[in-house]
Amino acid sequence: MASQYGLKYAVHIITSHFGNLVAKVCECLLRKGPLTLHNLIRFTELTPLQVKNSLLVLIQHNCVQAFIEESGVGDGAKLNTQYIALFNNIIHRSRFSKFLAIVSKELGEECLKLFEGLLQHGRLTLAQIVDRAISSTKGSDIAPGAIRETFLKLLGSHFVERCPAPEPVLSPPNQELPSSAKRGSKSAKLQKIETETLEQRVSEEAAPSEAMRFLLTTDAESNVDGGKDENDSSSSLVGEKRKYDALELDKEGEATNERVILWRANFEEFIRRLRHKACIEHVRHLGNGAVIVLSAMLEATRSAENKVKIDASAPLSLNSIYEEVIKNDAGRNMTFDRVRSSLIELGCPPLVKAFNDSYIIDFKAIIDLAQNDEVESIVLKRYGQEAYKMFRALSQAGHLLETDKIAEQTFYEKKDTPKVLYKLWKEEYLHMEKLQITGARQSQLLLWKVNKKNLWEHVLDEMFHAALNLSLRLAHELEKEKELLNPPQSRDRIIRVRLVLESAQIKLDDAIMLFHDF
Amino acid sequence: MSQLKRKRPDSNSVADSLTEHERVVYDAIRSKQEMGISQRDLKREINLLDKLASKSLKSLQDKNLVRLVPNFQSKGMKHYIAAEFNPSTEITGGAWYTDGSLDSDFIGVLKATCLKFVPNLKVATLEGFVEAVKKSRVSQVELSKKQIEELVESLVCDNELMKVKSTGIGEFASIPVGKVCYKRIDKGNRVSGTMASIPCGVCPQISICTPDGIVSPKTCVYYNTWLDF
Ligand code: SF4
Repeated sequence: MASQYGLKYAVHIITSHFGNLVAKVCECLLRKGPLTLHNLIRFTELTPLQVKNSLLVLIQHNCVQAFIEESGVGDGAKLNTQYIALFNNIIHRSRFSKFLAIVSKELGEECLKLFEGLLQHGRLTLAQIVDRAISSTKGSDIAPGAIRETFLKLLGSHFVERCPAPEPVLSPPNQELPSSAKRGSKSAKLQKIETETLEQRVSEEAAPSEAMRFLLTTDAESNVDGGKDENDSSSSLVGEKRKYDALELDKEGEATNERVILWRANFEEFIRRLRHKACIEHVRHLGNGAVIVLSAMLEATRSAENKVKIDASAPLSLNSIYEEVIKNDAGRNMTFDRVRSSLIELGCPPLVKAFNDSYIIDFKAIIDLAQNDEVESIVLKRYGQEAYKMFRALSQAGHLLETDKIAEQTFYEKKDTPKVLYKLWKEEYLHMEKLQITGARQSQLLLWKVNKKNLWEHVLDEMFHAALNLSLRLAHELEKEKELLNPPQSRDRIIRVRLVLESAQIKLDDAIMLFHDF
Repeated sequence: MSQLKRKRPDSNSVADSLTEHERVVYDAIRSKQEMGISQRDLKREINLLDKLASKSLKSLQDKNLVRLVPNFQSKGMKHYIAAEFNPSTEITGGAWYTDGSLDSDFIGVLKATCLKFVPNLKVATLEGFVEAVKKSRVSQVELSKKQIEELVESLVCDNELMKVKSTGIGEFASIPVGKVCYKRIDKGNRVSGTMASIPCGVCPQISICTPDGIVSPKTCVYYNTWLDF
């Protein structure tokens, strides 16, 4: 479940992209969780047509996923289509400019144009993509073959993927356990289900298999993924038809494929790249060598990553790191020794770990450090130097500390220490416990602690709040500008305002990703 | 650094001339040795009338048999100790305290000395710091290893040093693997936090700020200042 302001920010994004009606349906799903069409109509008090159309828009833009949940034992036959809002995908909409920049930098103008269309339309078939490209370049004749080539590049870089199944069937959690599973693995699986959100489960169930995901056409389209597509035709709402037959094996089938298989941007790949970029930024203070070596390692291990939030990269030998380093201009003038010494730098603190003659990137350590830095800088700016030191002392201790102990560690006057700690506690930056002791003079001790899990959630919520405020203020400034027939000098002002607010939005979104997606 | 030293009073002659009440008070204080006792605890312990106790204390002080010492734990409270003892560090607070107050200047100088010893991105061991402080002669009294460790650890809280474990290679070549070291953080090269750079990130009103409320981004004064071009 998204936090309070995460939710408000998501609704705000949908409102500004698709208007109030669609936003109302989306908000209802975000607040209430998955709903059937019937309930959605009831709760939103909109007409069935309005709700259906809104859902179509949201599904088209990958913001909502339909699914069928098998009801538990007993009346297992009863299946109802439900709709769930995909919070992450909604937030991704605010980062399209970042995705576009990545495509442009890596694959160039042609790919950028195709990809832009895909973002604009949410989902397209290859036939639609080709048609769009041809009609947009009226006059100059562009061969469909060339467009297909461009598309293949996007596919090869995993920037686009096949759309998920329109209506996957979700079996109840307890039935997912194979009865023969051993105790250990059983509890492990249970735990996985508990920590996974419904949104994740639905998305996982709907996702095409890894083998299919980036494949333009396959010989046996109908066999490989047949199981998942079984229910497709039952979804009239989605309007996708993915039942295939033997015909597809021949040329004609391929043409059909082009008209049937839907493609969309693969957000996961972009988030992965942005995660890598954030990691690189975070070692920049270690110098150029560290940046080049880490970038090379990321490049070499990226294809082995199978999800975004992995804790560590695949291992690489010194030789293969060096090979990767000298592949690009910046690295070419690095000697073997320099690479080695950069690796040593990256090993202290251990952001890159050496073991058995090979090296792995400790993503978790890098992200943790970056998150700590961010929170600490808020504490410093909001509550001052002393609070900052105490917060760091507690954060590094990782357990409860008594007031006097904190004063001693930070060399702060004992009698003034509680005041500083209290302020942090009041605004949810610290956790406090009282300890009654009997007999001694001091009857009550105060113990303090940084509760990372809660605090991180709190900080993320404040970030969403800040993002919403930035966006509202920007809209307000632009609105004001439109209303008043301002003298020319105010135009300079609005340009600067826009620049400041938009660049703040981009940076803030980096921080949101750091806490939410990485 | 006030390790007060007094001449040992000629206890026999003066102590012999004490009144009965003074004797009770004196014995109670003296039995606490270098810990001394607070006025409040003393009065509770000896069970004398308030007035009598105060009077006895006064005359014991006049006779140089007991003295007042500052207690860094509770500065307002009177704390007595028999003249022949030096107050324990539990009372004075140790090297970091002068007259019961934190000696911030002294601590500041010591911290700077430690930092001077490790240039950016370099590492040092605790023993290295101990040696550096000793050589600098900043402190008149000899500081223990534990005290230097306290200093260094507080520099970690200040985000000037980072605690790392020796890997035995590179700059750690002379340090055994696994030994705790301190690495100097290069602050000049660090980007400050994102949230901290925008008004809402450090706003004291964020919890009451809503899109259409009295405090709102549209009317926000912090934004007005920020966007005042
Ligand atoms: S908009 Fe203004 S009042 Fe609201 S949280 Fe941001 S800085 Fe504070």
